[in-house]
Amino acid sequence: MASAEILQTLGNKYSAEILDATDEPQSAQELSDELGIPIATCYRRIDELTEHDLLELHDNILSDDRRRIKVYRRNVDTVHIDFEESLTVDIEERTEVTNKLDEAWRTLSEG
Amino acid sequence: MIELTKTGVDGLDEILNGGIVKNSTTLVSGNPGAGKSILCLQFIYNGVEQFDEKGIYLTFEEDESDLREAAESIGFENWGEHVDNGDIKVYDKKVLLRENDFSSSLELLLDDFEDNDYDRVVLDSLAMFELFFEDEQEKRTYLLKFTDILSENNLTTLMTNEQGAVFPETEIGLENYLTDGNIYLIQTPTESGVNRYLWVAKMRKQNIETDIFPMEISQGGIRVHQNASAFSMMSEDDSPL
Repeated sequence: MASAEILQTLGNKYSAEILDATDEPQSAQELSDELGIPIATCYRRIDELTEHDLLELHDNILSDDRRRIKVYRRNVDTVHIDFEESLTVDIEERTEVTNKLDEAWRTLSEG
Repeated sequence: MIELTKTGVDGLDEILNGGIVKNSTTLVSGNPGAGKSILCLQFIYNGVEQFDEKGIYLTFEEDESDLREAAESIGFENWGEHVDNGDIKVYDKKVLLRENDFSSSLELLLDDFEDNDYDRVVLDSLAMFELFFEDEQEKRTYLLKFTDILSENNLTTLMTNEQGAVFPETEIGLENYLTDGNIYLIQTPTESGVNRYLWVAKMRKQNIETDIFPMEISQGGIRVHQNASAFSMMSEDDSPL
């Protein structure tokens, strides 16, 4: 059942921390360093979260040593859990407006 | 040397010591009817008429034809022509709120900003823009990002801000701190009508006259009188202070 699965994913160790830290796009390495997550676990969590659309691949940015790095950003603002009728988990996605402004603003800082 | 953008409003550029700082964002605050929209119309209109600068006018409050009528009724008779030939681009409420989807208009808008075709922008009103954000922190963050985007694209911007109190001393919103300049339009009722004043409370990087100046709205738009002493001739009761 999808709702329980989402809760499971959210409940996995480090998932909440990763979502909390990805207000602005972050790479797996950055998340691993900042949050003290073993890198392999970090990749696994990112895959899980991305699979459930809680996190999204935001961009492939060019690093200082000219390699492509994937950066991720959370795709969710709020999660509502409702047990009243039957378990439902309602994901409120980040609004498009903020996404677009973030994107335009980031292009500035790159330029 | 700081570059300035002239408003072309009689008296206002003098108070500003030449104009608004180029690429800055200025908040225009006042009660309903204080003249915020007129000042904004005039800023865009003068840009085209006097300084060969194109403008973008964003309004959540009116549609294009209302705006055109408002402009023409105050004496900006070529407004419609400038809109038709693209020197003034209007995003009206119909466009901005089309199918409740501000994000798709935002995309077009951001493209226009990046085009380097325009020099002036008006956002009427900031309060409506802020409705697209969830909480205070988000409003603050995205107002800053939005002003950054405007500034980096070489756009000088006026944003209107609905002011609840007659005089702003009681409520100074975060917006006032986050923008580069603050202009207040003040109106006080009198027996014969209304007295109007303009106060430039803040203009970053610019030495300004911070007195409160009388102004009038008539055919041709806003005119600010530099003779601040007119103010001191008012009786205590009339003073908005």
